[in-house]
Amino acid sequence: MTINKQSFWDRETKTALWRIVLEYQGKRDQALKKNQLEMEGFREEVHQMKKQALDQIDQLRKQAIANLEANGIRVFEAKDDNQARKIIEKLLKDKKRVIKAKTNAFGEIDQKGFLADKQVQETDLGDFVVSLVGDPEAHPVLPALHLSPEKIAQAIEKKYRKRILPTAEGIAEFARNYLREKINRAQAGITGANAITADGKIVILENEGNISLVSRWPESHIVVAGFEKIVPSLKEALMVVQASAIWGTGQDWPAYVSVIASPSKTADIANETIIGAQGAKEVNLVLLDNGRGRLIEAGFSELLHCLNCGACLNFCPVYHQIGSHYGGKYLGSRGVVFAAFSQSLKKAKLANCFACTLCSACLENCPAKIDLPELMRKLRTLLEKEGWQTKENEKMIANIRKFGNPFGKIEEGQIPKELYCC
Amino acid sequence: MSILDKILGGNTLYYPGCLTKFVAKDLEEKYQEILRQEGIDFITLSELELCCGSPALKAGYLADFKKAAKENMKIFKDHGVTKVITNCPACFMILKKYYQEALGKDWNIEVEHISQTLGSKLKAQNSKLQPKVKNLKLTYHDPCHLGRQMGVYDQPRTVIKNLGYRISEMKLNKKNSFCCGGGGGVQSNEPDLASKIAQDRIKQAKETGARILCTACPLCYLHLKENAKGIKVKELSQLFSLNKGKNDHQ
Repeated sequence: MTINKQSFWDRETKTALWRIVLEYQGKRDQALKKNQLEMEGFREEVHQMKKQALDQIDQLRKQAIANLEANGIRVFEAKDDNQARKIIEKLLKDKKRVIKAKTNAFGEIDQKGFLADKQVQETDLGDFVVSLVGDPEAHPVLPALHLSPEKIAQAIEKKYRKRILPTAEGIAEFARNYLREKINRAQAGITGANAITADGKIVILENEGNISLVSRWPESHIVVAGFEKIVPSLKEALMVVQASAIWGTGQDWPAYVSVIASPSKTADIANETIIGAQGAKEVNLVLLDNGRGRLIEAGFSELLHCLNCGACLNFCPVYHQIGSHYGGKYLGSRGVVFAAFSQSLKKAKLANCFACTLCSACLENCPAKIDLPELMRKLRTLLEKEGWQTKENEKMIANIRKFGNPFGKIEEGQIPKELYCC
Repeated sequence: MSILDKILGGNTLYYPGCLTKFVAKDLEEKYQEILRQEGIDFITLSELELCCGSPALKAGYLADFKKAAKENMKIFKDHGVTKVITNCPACFMILKKYYQEALGKDWNIEVEHISQTLGSKLKAQNSKLQPKVKNLKLTYHDPCHLGRQMGVYDQPRTVIKNLGYRISEMKLNKKNSFCCGGGGGVQSNEPDLASKIAQDRIKQAKETGARILCTACPLCYLHLKENAKGIKVKELSQLFSLNKGKNDHQ
């Protein structure tokens, strides 16, 4: 395996990334202080909370579905990405104009050509910008971190024939005006979820306010989420919110937290309940398995503790070189492991499973204490079993088997160039 | 077990690990000399011992790793080994953590990284280690397997300070240390990637203004040295100016 030369980030992007990451680190530590949380203690609490939820996930899932449906939220379980796409297509059958707010779960099931007959508009500023430029997301929380305001302003001018100030403010203003128009006319809105409670509530956090609009303004709201988002109650869900804000963006609390318990309704006239007042008339939840069941069976359930905050990437040496080329539908080591179960072992190898140095920086920075290096190592054992080794590793193991060391027979005065070790 | 072993409570094995033994050979000689100077009795098994199994385990060859663990344990026990000292953080982590996991109770051999051995001697004030420079600035790179994975941060620093050096820390240090890029099989599987990561780490080291970058791992040492420009990379043992050897950093 060799990583393509074009996959490496240029010096400018790398410098920008380091500046963002080091600033983030300071903000994260401040946010913990502001919440009067001690880092290690809180990480352990999040870890235990997610572990306990996953240990009883089948039961929580049944409860969540029953309670959501009792509240008027329709739940569709999707075995795989194909099924999820079919469900969404059906839900959008009579709808043409669709708006979307940051959802990585949607990215998980998305495919070229999916919803091609609709006008789908991304409303998260970062995602709006990367889709405009035509780049993949560079980070789950900061998708456009690799793009300078100048480059974005140029792309806007080229596509919309509108000259704007090449500043963050100028771009945000353009996007606000442009997207408001789209939101206003949309018939359906797609979002993700940060947590779903067994008692039937969907919890979504955000800063921009676009999720509030996408989930409320159009007639139909579609939520796409993996079943691992289910936790027992709002208490646990708010812990997810807090951890996601602190580790995701270094904030003590996000600007908005939506708790959606039913479609919009009113009983103001003659005490008669009408579904659909100012908010969404229908709320649909597409609950994804897409490899999660297999993942649990194979002993990798710790991966599902993930809150998708992206903190595992921030100090990852591989991510700092090749960005979105490390991982699959999700970025980084987490994405590599997930690809093995949601797609295939071959995909996991192509997602650069053998590029991980097992340095543990991801584990150190994970709010849920997911032992990603250990999962990565276990994944390599699966790859080995199924014949997805690298040539270099095959040489190394042949040497160990024959000579008791990874370098093989070493002639006097010779120094091996390939350091298989460690 | 020989009578002598029984009296002394078993042998201490100095286990350099493959990388030190076959590639960074000068480090092995240095460490043996340092251990002798510190009055630590040890044996070596040179051709008899096998690779600890670290590269096998990390590349996904679980059965080969377990085999290596079993065979090494037998070799060690046959030679009355009750304690292993190694200068390789990967071997240290494997022997201490993963042998315990793979072999269970049978693995009752104590394992130390050599920085711990030397650090304890200093703490007990029975070290013969002498400062050879005066307040010379250097920066220290925490090897991932020694630091983040095994929690050994302070002892290498204690040793360095007692050799007369002043440590100017990088922004990313201790549990926030940044990998050298060589581990996990990446140096051989993805050499370009490994080099780029090392060059970033070198840049971070140079930002401290230090002229020397020291580490306590043969892989980090070899890999960083290969990618270093404008800074000298030293392995911990090379900071020692031994009675016999010449003074390296002068």
